[in-house]
Amino acid sequence: MNRRLVFSHSRQSVYLALALLIALVVQACAPAPAAPTDSGAPQVAAPAGPVVNALGKELPADAAPLDQQVLVYPYSGWRTFTTIDFFQAVYERADALSDLLSDSLVRLDKNFKPNPGAATEWSLDESGLVWTFKLDPNLMWNDGTPVTADDYVATFRYGADPTHAWDFSWYYQGVIKNWTQAVNGAVPVEEIGVRAVDAHTLEFTTESPAPFLPAMLVYSNAMQKRALEEHGGLYNSDPATSVSAGPYKLVEWTKDQRLVYEINPDYKGTNIPYIQRLVVVNIGQPSQLLPAYEANEIDFVWGSGTLSPADLEIIEADPDLNAQYHPHYGDFRTYYFFFDDTKPPFDDLRVRQAFAHVLDRDAIVANILKRQGIPAYSFLAPGFPASNSAAFADTYPLDIEKARQLLADAGYPNGEGFPRLTLKLRAEGPAPTAVAQAYASALKDALGIDVEVTNMDFRSYMEELNAKPTGIQFSLISYGMDYLDPSNMLGVFVSGGRHTWANADYDALVREAGGFTGDPAERTKMFQDAERILVEDVGGVFVYHQTPGDLIKPYIKGPALEPDDNGVSAWHWPGFSSFSDLLSGVYITNEVSNYRQAPD
Amino acid sequence: MARYLLGRLGGILVVFFIVSVVVFLLMHAIPGGPYNEDKVPLSAEAKANYMRKYGLDRPLVEQYLLYMGNALRGDFGVPFQSPTETVTGLIARTWPVSASLGLAALLVALPLGLLLGMVAASRQNTWIDYTASTISTLGLTVPNFVVAVWLVLLFAVQFKWLPTGGWGQWHHYIMPVAALALAPMALTARYTRTSILEVSRSDYIRTARSKGLSDRQIMLRHTLRNAMIPLLTILAPQIPNLITGTIFIESIFRVPGLGKFFVTSILGRDYPMIMALLLLVAVVWSLVYLITDILYVVVDPRVRLGKSKT
Repeated sequence: MNRRLVFSHSRQSVYLALALLIALVVQACAPAPAAPTDSGAPQVAAPAGPVVNALGKELPADAAPLDQQVLVYPYSGWRTFTTIDFFQAVYERADALSDLLSDSLVRLDKNFKPNPGAATEWSLDESGLVWTFKLDPNLMWNDGTPVTADDYVATFRYGADPTHAWDFSWYYQGVIKNWTQAVNGAVPVEEIGVRAVDAHTLEFTTESPAPFLPAMLVYSNAMQKRALEEHGGLYNSDPATSVSAGPYKLVEWTKDQRLVYEINPDYKGTNIPYIQRLVVVNIGQPSQLLPAYEANEIDFVWGSGTLSPADLEIIEADPDLNAQYHPHYGDFRTYYFFFDDTKPPFDDLRVRQAFAHVLDRDAIVANILKRQGIPAYSFLAPGFPASNSAAFADTYPLDIEKARQLLADAGYPNGEGFPRLTLKLRAEGPAPTAVAQAYASALKDALGIDVEVTNMDFRSYMEELNAKPTGIQFSLISYGMDYLDPSNMLGVFVSGGRHTWANADYDALVREAGGFTGDPAERTKMFQDAERILVEDVGGVFVYHQTPGDLIKPYIKGPALEPDDNGVSAWHWPGFSSFSDLLSGVYITNEVSNYRQAPD
Repeated sequence: MARYLLGRLGGILVVFFIVSVVVFLLMHAIPGGPYNEDKVPLSAEAKANYMRKYGLDRPLVEQYLLYMGNALRGDFGVPFQSPTETVTGLIARTWPVSASLGLAALLVALPLGLLLGMVAASRQNTWIDYTASTISTLGLTVPNFVVAVWLVLLFAVQFKWLPTGGWGQWHHYIMPVAALALAPMALTARYTRTSILEVSRSDYIRTARSKGLSDRQIMLRHTLRNAMIPLLTILAPQIPNLITGTIFIESIFRVPGLGKFFVTSILGRDYPMIMALLLLVAVVWSLVYLITDILYVVVDPRVRLGKSKT
């Protein structure tokens, strides 16, 4: 719903309601104790001498004083929120700031390049299967014990533990040796290919050559072995049992309200932050992000799938908000339609091709997505390794006549005899839902096919998708990368995954390229050949690459927000956590005093 | 009376039992489980392990009996969506928040609604009546979450007098209470007006007037008391809704109440929470109806509870 439209079109009723409310809310005029000062407040005088934070890091000259070095960040009140640990539950972190209590082995810079994190260096042996990671020997837990390879081993074993049933256990399947077998309970977790050689040397053994392993290990922040054994996987959900070897420590978690982190003065790693405190507040539902941001109650809004088309109109119309809107690649997410091609009518390639020719990507981007997407002709977005986007622009262009002909050739002239379809969505937000509806109406107009769009709840959808045989005949879904390698994105179409589309040549190419350690250009070529099979055989009809935009208050600055190699200045994936050096590259400038007081 | 009460309480137990069976069967009929699956399906083994961990692999009858056995001992299990606390603990933490908000809304809505209705009735067909009626109509027709969004835009974003949401200080009550109170206030006003107009045309009011009682005495002693009977019928069902929390108002104003769990429990297949919440709602509704029936006796001496002795 467009709040602004409601407001302006119903001004009369607003004032009537207002008259009543003034009667009700007698005290409303009393200013709230923490009333934000919008403008005209005096600038805080710059303190004499450089400001140094609790970790001895000197703040830039324009930085706000330490009590204002606070990042107020939203979390999704509508999502399950049980943990701040990746290895506990990826999908129960509610978009909050998390994974701050230990360092990942590697971490990404703003160009998505993996750099040393908790590991200072790594090497691969001659077999191409055994990786050795040297841990930073300085790292300490704030209970005074050292961070050792045993902590990392315990963490990975926990991830593979079949009784844990980790929601992300698929991630290391087929990569780390014996991982799949351990997850399935066929071998004990002690047999996975993660081993402590000595206190500060960690060894990974892979199933087959995996040149992308370091990039993949961005998700490798350790949990403490002792705490895991004593308190279980949720030990970080309570400040009393929480222990940190990372840049921050948890000091408060008031359920359904907020979390507070403070800088960890015992942090010995290299990802040293400027910001002193992190206040992570429950923002209720997505529609409340923009109002709370405009009221200066939060410093940041993640745009990915949360800002509605109406929110985007408001932002576009407001020069201030517009300047604070930073579009970026997100996680290189691609939205695509897919089919159950094991049964009629979609087992016929001509039907899938007809569907591909009906899609008007330009209209969808211009009218629905605006700045939140660009047309997709293939799976890998521009900027992603091996992306070959431009080469596919003419594979299935918008061509209604051709689509009709193909459909007639397949035995459905003017759509006669074509079954009525249900286009199922997986708990999608307003923009993808509008895209699905636009496509459904195009299918009706162009091909005479009746399509009903249904937005399902997440778990019912997944249950139907993964059923054998699948319960999803026709759907719009998305996939975003987990690490910057084509094997990750293209892996979703390898047979045996979530889609029915299967092609032996495709599988072979993706698998071979994945483990290929020779000439990188040759590896890229293999991935591109695989993607060509996927596009031409219409494994999916690719619609758009999501280009989310975040709102960042102008008083947040730092090297991490300076332009990257492609000139994009934004809050890059994977965001403010130990997975990225964004954490050590942003601070609050003294301009903040024009917006808010120091949060409590 | 005691016999009547015992009978009614027994009836509540029967309702409790029926609701528990129906809810238990329905929630297990929803596809999917409490495990998370996103990009790649969990393996069948991992799923089976997960189900075993929570005892969800056992036959439904066994699960039901186990659940009810524990529930009768006061153990409602652990919520899947908040495994660091118990269901009872979660409800004890969040229900008072919702209840305080709901009660505050009632305390605002009832007196204002009564006042509005009385004023409208006593000045029937004047501009005062029309204004009051317009306000009540608006209150009934505009959904409270729309009002909530207006409130946020006006008082938080535009004027910056109030925070857009949050909890813990007195000013956090203002907007949610205003949004919640609007509909029950409007309802009270409308029914008060209608009832008063109806009662004031009755014979006993005419008698009272001919006795020489003042308008004020008639209003307080006769009209209002008799007008309360239909009001009770209308207002009682508002109470359970108000005090068990509402998803819209609580999520717009970030109130850490019970409301959102009615939705998140179902979306997350949080079986222990679904059971506990629906049983709670069943009990609250039953009790509110019981109390309403008792209150009829208080306001209307003609009403007798239990079997007539004549």
